[in-house]
Amino acid sequence: MVEHVAIRGRGIGKSFTVGKVSTRVIDELSVDVASGELTLLSGPSGCGKSTLLAILSGLERPDAGSVEALGEQVWLLDRKALQRFRLHHIGFVFQGFNLFPALNSVEQVELPLSYLGLGAEETRRRAWAALDEVGLAHRRHMRPAELSGGEKQRVAIARALAKRPQLLFADEPTSALDSVSGQTVIDILHRAARVHGTMVLCASHDPRLIAHADRVLRMEDGRVLADEHHPHPPMGAHTTS
Amino acid sequence: MVALARKTLVYEWRRYLPASLAVAFSGMLLLVQLALVFGIFDSAAVYINASRGQIWVGYPGTQSIDLGRSIPRDAQMRLLMNPQVAQVEPFQWVNGDWRGSRQLGSVSVFVSGIDPAPDGLVFARAIPPALRARLEEPGAIIVDRADLPKLGIQVGQSGILNGQRVYLVGTTSGLRALGGVNIVTSLATAEQLNVGGDPRPAYYVARLRDPARAAVVAAQLDPHDRQRRYAVWSASTLAARTIHYWLFETGAGLGVVFMSLVVFLVGTVITSQTLMGAVAGSISEYATLNALGASHGALSRVVMEQAGWVGVAGLLGGGVLSAMVLLLAHSQDVPVGITVAGVTACAVLVMGITLFSGMLAVRTLRNADPARLLR
Repeated sequence: MVEHVAIRGRGIGKSFTVGKVSTRVIDELSVDVASGELTLLSGPSGCGKSTLLAILSGLERPDAGSVEALGEQVWLLDRKALQRFRLHHIGFVFQGFNLFPALNSVEQVELPLSYLGLGAEETRRRAWAALDEVGLAHRRHMRPAELSGGEKQRVAIARALAKRPQLLFADEPTSALDSVSGQTVIDILHRAARVHGTMVLCASHDPRLIAHADRVLRMEDGRVLADEHHPHPPMGAHTTS
Repeated sequence: MVALARKTLVYEWRRYLPASLAVAFSGMLLLVQLALVFGIFDSAAVYINASRGQIWVGYPGTQSIDLGRSIPRDAQMRLLMNPQVAQVEPFQWVNGDWRGSRQLGSVSVFVSGIDPAPDGLVFARAIPPALRARLEEPGAIIVDRADLPKLGIQVGQSGILNGQRVYLVGTTSGLRALGGVNIVTSLATAEQLNVGGDPRPAYYVARLRDPARAAVVAAQLDPHDRQRRYAVWSASTLAARTIHYWLFETGAGLGVVFMSLVVFLVGTVITSQTLMGAVAGSISEYATLNALGASHGALSRVVMEQAGWVGVAGLLGGGVLSAMVLLLAHSQDVPVGITVAGVTACAVLVMGITLFSGMLAVRTLRNADPARLLR
């Protein structure tokens, strides 16, 4: 089972200080997240799920603890190495879709690929395949202004998937979407985990997601209160919190 | 490679328009002020630039052509003895006092006495041969048409110059002087007007068989002697000395530098603010790219490329604007002078404005912290 663990967080702690008030957001938290699963971090807003996501994904440095991702101690890497690690292994989907208004769907997806140094043909091929995978092949040449919210989020997912990351992080990916679009997005994320064996870690307070997750970590006040495995075919995950 | 910088510029052109306009107007201001200053001070050297000779002989140390003093006549012989010299001609300079109509009072004028022969050298470019021939008439004068209101006469009318009656036989353009009015007469008329002055000419002008050898021949002809009574320059050297003298004598040179600094500052403030606004407006998108692994260097290159294109668009716009303003100035007889070096200097300064602004805008990218997208 251990070989399926993609991320291992140990003793993670994080506080934010505003003025003279210091707030403990994550408290001595340890967690393992497995490949090939859609893991959901759920809980009320302010429970620390987005912060945990940021720490596990190499965006926010923790005050204490360590994160081992794909066998690499993430927070021992320098800034450039960390950037390179993210480039090669990590995909992100954010609540705001953050698409460049000037680019059409293919270009949105090609843009991060271009930093990987792939050839023009391979870049185009991967971008088309990724758009195909999220069901937007017919929207390839449209700009964000011409797409619905759900379609924009699917372009953002295609942008993250085209790099073929082993780790995919999604922060509130369905919060800004109607139920049908939200459902589509969940299905795509779930399929990415199943088909590509990607670790998908999703922070959300959207209750619709719970039914689709392979595993749900319920968080409150910076701790994991419950770790639930759902009856999808499991591929292995543990918390040691 | 996705051309993010260019596609964004084209798609969101309204956002970048103020920057390009700021650059265009900065470029126009720089170029027009330079053209005006050079135009004005070029007219200080009009005697040289409107003439055909390549060699000028005058009083040693003369800093500006209008400061000439009489030189000995044997200079002419020395010139003619050189086999390179094809033609030599005296140029007389007389300061004058003009009295036209009573309402205008007196006007300080510069009288240029030239050889009215059809192949004469001085002012050959400004005065056509037929008009030049009319200077043979005693008391005949020619002026720039833009100076007519100052003198208060029309062609065919007469006025009093240094107490003697002279007649305006025609006008031309490109003869405007700095700080006075140029009046062209024949050498004979100039001699009569030179009441009580040194009858010897202030300059000799020579035409060479090979115009390209002006600098070499000028060096050969110059006596190179501490006690020399005349000095020899190539036409371009004397013109440059004259323009240089006026630029610094009047403080205009410093004015140009100061104005350029002000334009640079204003252009940079507007351009950088626009670019910063554009970067700030796309900060989440840049942060997302950074999260996905694009380095800050790669994002900075996008911003710098945008600045570069804004600069190129501004340069083109500024070029069109400048051309329009300068054509308008030219049509109104406002002296303007454009040199390749001047245009190049303005273009470099304008690109400097955009690249400097780009660097300031790149600093805004520091806010593209992907962790903020998760708060």
